[in-house]
Amino acid sequence: MTKYIVNRLLGIIPTLLIIITLSFFIVRVAPGGPFATERNLPEVVKRNIEAKYHMDEPMIQQYGRYMFDILRGDLGPSFKYKDYDVNYYIANSLPKSIVLGSWAMLIALVFGISAGIIAAVKQNTWIDYASMGIAVIGISVPLFVIAPVLQLIFAMKLQWLPTSGWYTTGEGYKTIILPAVSLSFAYFANIARLTRSSMLDTLRSDYIRTAKAKGMKNSTIIFKHAMKGAMLPVISYLGPAFAGIITGSIVVEQIFRVPGLGKFFVQSSFNRDYTLIVGVVIVYSLILVFMNFLVDIVYAQLDPRITYK
Amino acid sequence: MFSKKKIEAPLNEFDQVIVGNSLGKDAWKRLKKNKMAVIGMVVVIVYSLLAAFAMFLPIYPYDQIILDHQHLRPTFNKTAGDLMMETKLEDLYFKAWRSGSLVVTEEQSTQIKTWIADNKTNTVWNFCYAEGERQRAAGTFTFSAADQKTIDRLQSRIETEFLISVEKLFWTDPVTGKTKNLEKMDYEDILPVYASITGLEPKDVEAQTLTEIRSQVLNTIKETSPDLTDEEYASSLEMELTAMGEKGIHTIGKSNLIGKIQTTVTRTSERTLKQEIKDGSAEFPINKTVNLSDNLTAEIQASKKHDRHYYLGTDYSGRDMLSRIIYGGQVSIAIGLVGTLTSVLIGIVLGALAGYMGGKVDFFLMRLVDIMYGLPYMLLVIICMAIFGRNIMNLFIALALVSWLTVARMVRGQVMSLKNSEYVEAARSMGASTGRIIFRHMVPNSLSVIIVYSTLRVPAFIMQESFLSFLGLGVQAPYASWGSLVGDAVNGMTLYPWKLIFPALAMTIFLFAMNFFGDGLRDAFDPQSKNQL
Repeated sequence: MTKYIVNRLLGIIPTLLIIITLSFFIVRVAPGGPFATERNLPEVVKRNIEAKYHMDEPMIQQYGRYMFDILRGDLGPSFKYKDYDVNYYIANSLPKSIVLGSWAMLIALVFGISAGIIAAVKQNTWIDYASMGIAVIGISVPLFVIAPVLQLIFAMKLQWLPTSGWYTTGEGYKTIILPAVSLSFAYFANIARLTRSSMLDTLRSDYIRTAKAKGMKNSTIIFKHAMKGAMLPVISYLGPAFAGIITGSIVVEQIFRVPGLGKFFVQSSFNRDYTLIVGVVIVYSLILVFMNFLVDIVYAQLDPRITYK
Repeated sequence: MFSKKKIEAPLNEFDQVIVGNSLGKDAWKRLKKNKMAVIGMVVVIVYSLLAAFAMFLPIYPYDQIILDHQHLRPTFNKTAGDLMMETKLEDLYFKAWRSGSLVVTEEQSTQIKTWIADNKTNTVWNFCYAEGERQRAAGTFTFSAADQKTIDRLQSRIETEFLISVEKLFWTDPVTGKTKNLEKMDYEDILPVYASITGLEPKDVEAQTLTEIRSQVLNTIKETSPDLTDEEYASSLEMELTAMGEKGIHTIGKSNLIGKIQTTVTRTSERTLKQEIKDGSAEFPINKTVNLSDNLTAEIQASKKHDRHYYLGTDYSGRDMLSRIIYGGQVSIAIGLVGTLTSVLIGIVLGALAGYMGGKVDFFLMRLVDIMYGLPYMLLVIICMAIFGRNIMNLFIALALVSWLTVARMVRGQVMSLKNSEYVEAARSMGASTGRIIFRHMVPNSLSVIIVYSTLRVPAFIMQESFLSFLGLGVQAPYASWGSLVGDAVNGMTLYPWKLIFPALAMTIFLFAMNFFGDGLRDAFDPQSKNQL
């Protein structure tokens, strides 16, 4: 197991390297640059600015310098917002995105798994149909439709919840509800469907029949015996779910005006703020890669049939 | 010896003909039993037909901007003119209430103030309009002279304003006497036509047109890639022009010239039409032929501008939402279908190669797939779209390049399991090449799995496209896609909810149908997969 973990951790390094290199060069090969809009600057000033950000050096040298800085944990200065560096912006906005994403994941997991189990246990009753109906809606309706519609209904028409903002800016913790719920909807739906189908499969298996024959309580069978096996597909779905929540948070943060990392990302891509773009991509990839790693470990722990070499 | 033998149908022990059942036939039988899947299929077909034949539908052009018709609400029985008048009256009644000339009870007044405080603008307007109309009918309220004048002016505009469209232009050659449609003439032949109506020399017209084309092309370059230096712009302009070639330049020149001739026709006929309306002799809609000169005739169509019906309302530029949704669907569905097809093709080729060749090829391709799976690839797509220019082509390429992973894995698995089957062995022993074995024998045999997966990919592709368009990174105006329509509607959705609801609904219904159809197809092809995601 330890060997597996070490191997898995070593495997993360090339992935991260590829991501950093790809995004570093993609932003730089395109024509134009972060200072191109200030075109009317005198040539000397322009050269000075470029020298300040080491943009006059050959690409490879810039790349080497950047990689070296990253190793020291420095993501460099922002090209557009000159007051602070990228580390400051990320440190400021990342916690908000993490809080939002964690709530969304939590909601999706708790409600998704419970809905799936109930639907499987009460198969072909109205509860089953209702929860699977909601799940189909969650899969078919895109996030950027759900979010404004929920905002329209619950914030603007019924006025139960604030339309936008973030709890640190004064509207209280209610501000999290709408963005987190709309972000979690699609993942709730997928998790519920996965749980239901794998639960149905598990409930039909031999060891469950044995447990029933031994006269065990229904709840013990479901939660102690069936759950463990039925959770495996759900756990392997969590990796893509994390990736989806990261991209989804970009839209949700825009609609609900959450000052998180996602809003920064789109803005900085438009601005060609090289260091900020690459910085945000690195942070997102780190989160994603780490989450995938965690998912694999949990999977290995839960399923004794899998032996890792 | 080799005379054609009639193939005898297989018979069972009762001498009944046994009809063979192919997998497709069997699947179709099962699909027909699944009601939701059939409904989904029908909906998908209807959408596709609507999208494919959008240009033949009797709807308004999706990119025609009429600023007078900004943000008109959806209605079934009222014309655009009625709604314009209503909006104006709402505004006037509200102003009248504020200035005190529209008298309401104390309670109503407080009610209005609470509404205003709650930002319920629509409620206030509706109330003022209803109350004002009631009082005006009862004779207790009359507009001030200035307001009445505004209303009268609007009324006369609604009654008299019209739109002219030039349907066809005909040119009779003065030498040969042949009549030709201008659309079917060459650029060089249109030059003297335009020269004759403007009185310029054809040489000057050509020079002028060339300058215009250059500035047009430069503008598109500036739009797609901003922030270049002047030098870079100049060189990319030359490159673009060389790439277009003489033929491309002539195509643009032709449409420019025809556009100009049409404008001239419109102007001239506008004058006569206005006179006719004044005399009261005009009767809409008008279809007539206008003689511009001895040799140039035009077929024009004129309709009342404010007589239009907008069943689903209009957007911020007065464009018809119904046609925007249909044309937006066209873009979305096309990107979904073509994108899925492209990514599936890439996946099939790479997956089949990896599966069949094995060894190093397999190792490298699968490591590539693994690494790409770990990438937050939507982020890379967003960066690419923001940096390389936002247009449909880039969007399509960027999405297709990251969506082939699952297909590649699937095809690889299929090919690996089929590699050692007898028929592949037979083909190989007869000397078939690798390519032939893969693409004639193995791929067709795993096609059912691929088709099922592809139908489930289409909605995902549409969602990704719309996601990018929503962020403003995909389809750009005047084109629309469902995503960009929803994205445009999010600001101001309390005031103009129809802009959000109809495109969202259209998209949701399609995605629903597509998902049900895909699920049904999967169950039909693989009955054991039922209840699985």
